[in-house]
Amino acid sequence: MTAQIELKNIEKHYGSFHALKNVSLTIDKGSFVALVGPSGCGKSTLLRSIAGLETISSGELSIAGKTMTGVPPRHRDIAMVFQSYALYPHMTVEENLTYSLRLHGVGKAEAKAKAAEVAQTTGLGQLLPRYPRQLSGGQRQRVAMGRAIIRNPKAFLFDEPLSNLDAALRVQMRKEIRALHDRLGATSVYVTHDQIEAMTMADWVVVMRDGIIEQQGRPLDLYDHPVNRFVAGFIGSPAMNFIEGKIASDGRAVNLVGGERIPLARQAEPNQPVVAGLRPEHMKLATGTPTFHFPVGNVESTGSATYLTSADGHLQLVQSERSTVSVGDRVGVEIDPALIHLFDPQSGKRI
Amino acid sequence: MKHHRIRVSEFGWGEGAFSSSLKRRLLHPKCFAIRLLPQREGWSAARLGGLMQRFLSGLRDGVGFDILLISIAMLFLIAMAGLPLVYNVLMSFQQVDMFTLGSFIRPFAGIQNYIDVVRQPEFWLVTRNTAVFVFFSMAGQFVLGFALALFFAQKFPGAATIRGLFLVSWVMPGLVVGAIWSWILAGDFGVLNAILKSLGIIQSNIFWKSDPSVSIWAVIIANIWLGLAFNMLLLSVGLAGISRDLYEAAELDGANAFQRFWTITLPMMRSTIGAVLSLGLIGTLQQFDLFPAITEGGPANTSTVAQYWSWQMSFQLYDFAKGATISVMMLVLVLFASIIYVRSTRHEVRG
Amino acid sequence: MTRPYVPWLLLAVALALAAVYLFPLYWMYITSLKSGSEIFANPPTFWPREADPSVYGAVWSRRTMSTFLWNSTLIAAGVTAITVIFGTGCAYVLARYRNVWVDVGLFAILMLQVLPASVMVTPLFVAFNQFGLLNYPRTAVVLAAAAKAMPFFVVLVRATFMTVPRELEEAALVDGNSRMGAFFSIVLPLARNGILVCAILTFMSSFGEYIYSKSIIQDPSLQPASVGLSGFLGPNSTDWNSIMAYSAIYVTPILAVFVLLQRRIVSGLTSGALK
Repeated sequence: MTAQIELKNIEKHYGSFHALKNVSLTIDKGSFVALVGPSGCGKSTLLRSIAGLETISSGELSIAGKTMTGVPPRHRDIAMVFQSYALYPHMTVEENLTYSLRLHGVGKAEAKAKAAEVAQTTGLGQLLPRYPRQLSGGQRQRVAMGRAIIRNPKAFLFDEPLSNLDAALRVQMRKEIRALHDRLGATSVYVTHDQIEAMTMADWVVVMRDGIIEQQGRPLDLYDHPVNRFVAGFIGSPAMNFIEGKIASDGRAVNLVGGERIPLARQAEPNQPVVAGLRPEHMKLATGTPTFHFPVGNVESTGSATYLTSADGHLQLVQSERSTVSVGDRVGVEIDPALIHLFDPQSGKRI
Repeated sequence: MKHHRIRVSEFGWGEGAFSSSLKRRLLHPKCFAIRLLPQREGWSAARLGGLMQRFLSGLRDGVGFDILLISIAMLFLIAMAGLPLVYNVLMSFQQVDMFTLGSFIRPFAGIQNYIDVVRQPEFWLVTRNTAVFVFFSMAGQFVLGFALALFFAQKFPGAATIRGLFLVSWVMPGLVVGAIWSWILAGDFGVLNAILKSLGIIQSNIFWKSDPSVSIWAVIIANIWLGLAFNMLLLSVGLAGISRDLYEAAELDGANAFQRFWTITLPMMRSTIGAVLSLGLIGTLQQFDLFPAITEGGPANTSTVAQYWSWQMSFQLYDFAKGATISVMMLVLVLFASIIYVRSTRHEVRG
Repeated sequence: MTRPYVPWLLLAVALALAAVYLFPLYWMYITSLKSGSEIFANPPTFWPREADPSVYGAVWSRRTMSTFLWNSTLIAAGVTAITVIFGTGCAYVLARYRNVWVDVGLFAILMLQVLPASVMVTPLFVAFNQFGLLNYPRTAVVLAAAAKAMPFFVVLVRATFMTVPRELEEAALVDGNSRMGAFFSIVLPLARNGILVCAILTFMSSFGEYIYSKSIIQDPSLQPASVGLSGFLGPNSTDWNSIMAYSAIYVTPILAVFVLLQRRIVSGLTSGALK
């Protein structure tokens, strides 16, 4: 695999605000990379820097082997899908689709043919003569996609493209975008604040916070081996439970404040304070000897799953079976020791 | 950081119709310049070309475009407004008469012009007139404008259209407004006197334009009519910005219409009112056309205000130094008003 | 609570208020149709006994109105052209960026907006005289009046540009356009209506420009209609039917344009005027 987009030590300052801090990232040709993180983490700034819409303060950015410092967006050969879709309201769908072709000097007939072809693949067949204001949200989204794919760019950049759609459509478009990516053999960079989108669509997930890359890797690697408490809490839904405790003197268990102990599958350094991370879906109502107990404060059932929340609100447990547990019960919980994550309480780093 | 130089081939990338004609124009002189330069100075031609390219690409792609756009307007405004303003202050400290009018170096007069202006017999009369004109014009425009804005904030058919018709006063040439009011206010045959008499408000004709005790009022009445509509429009915008929910909440809390006005409308309109009042002050100090049309400042300067006096000094008595001096004194007042204005709109300026 | 007739009552009151407010306009047209003796009737007649439009023709030729109106048109067109060409780009930049320089620029523009023409006319006249511009008096008036009109135009058009989403322009850049190309093919078409309304307002206000023309243009054949009107207007005027006919000829085109475009003008003003 060759690198299609290469970022080395990228820095970005807005006045006194340090938006990107020493960001390095390699995006392979043909890969689908998701940049994910809470708002203000710098993911959009990074994407816009790749597009050339922001100038980076320092560092090196190259696309397909060519350094892009100082190169305006139009010479970068990338396509972008904006959150608001950014369809030109004074142009028809066809004109929107062919705008970039016309700018690059493609002949009228050829552009028209291309537009028809793209309309076919994105399901816009009958809509070519319409104006954007006459389209539904989903249709606009497709036009924005079509505008990106029509000229076969070196990379696709997506800036939260699904956040304006309703939940059902979002799930559908997720699949369509991924399928399109695979069919075109494209390189895609996808910015989202929704970790589910990132996990389901991408081959490579980059988690950002406060302008730095916290962790990058394959989606399941991030889920299984988060490098710190932030990533652990960000990836996975519902979010991971964190319990403070201390490693027992034998190093084989975590002693909780309430006196209970959670056994570990491995040896940890004895007597150090830790934060234990337990995924809600890994905790089970105990059938044998429970690992620990908590009083139930809330029971929510969606039909397919039951969510139990502890009385103090700190712990959540998901089980796929129906449950007879009701509020006020004290339930015993068991967990596979191999699925317990340990973090340093100060630095948040994985132990 | 490496500078990316765009190659000519890249620079001449296919563009839309506008850009390609521009490209021809921009590219041509550069090629021409390179051909003209002798061979042995090739290095400097190349460097010149490089600089030129960077300049042109900055113009098309970078911040150069913005600087070009704003600097043309700014240079024009500096030449036609900024410099004259400075020049005005300069002249107020110089001897400017028919002999020195055309020369660039004139005798320095110190503050003699200011002393002379204050010692003019009509100085205090004009000051008083200006204060009366400004205060009552503003008060009339504001109170009537606010009343009309409140009235048109009611929901009834055609409200917006009828309100819009009021603005005709604002688009009419000031001199025409002056001419019409001059006729309406005529002493013997004016329609205003006839109406007032038939209503029993006055017994005998008021000689609006020639009676020294009311002449300033003739202009004030016309000015109120002229500025009323614009005040109303701005206040309507402010009123429309107040959420209906607030009024409904207040009504549920038991506030009557009068209390709602005092406790919701006025406080919510504070910045609008500030802006409207300062714009009213500025507009009143800018009002000139009504004076030559209605009273020409007479009789015996009883309706002369600062702005008209300044003009009379310069263009009827050809005493440009005094004209400049009076306008500098007025300027202080205007700057005071504009500081209030800018402060009341600052939140918008900051966005 | 609301009774069904209340809106109609309000409408009646609104029409009455408008009638009172617009009475001066009515009076202008009515007077212009009255005969020379009827205008001095006591009490005045609110409807002409014998409408006599002949005064229009007389005023038109006697007062050389075609020359005056042509000059007014030329001056207004010049002012509008300069204002639109220079002001549009300036407004665009002020709308696009948020930094301290833009704040300074905006502040300067707001300050210039408040300068009275009567303050500016003395130094402009003296400076134009020194630089020989008084030999081209209409050009001089156009330059002076454009500087007066531009700040207001910039403030209003800036508000229009702020309604054009920045992402559209960025999409155009990514699609392969230059800044300049994106400005002309995306931003300008979308702001066109707002710019048009502001241009019309600029034209209307400079069509009535008086103080600069009166001070700078001495040659009657170059003066605009406002100066022409002031020529037979004063505290002791008597031929009111001629004056009103002149006024009517002068303002009717402006009023017609205003009534036609009222909606757009008002919405253009309300979106930007208070800014």
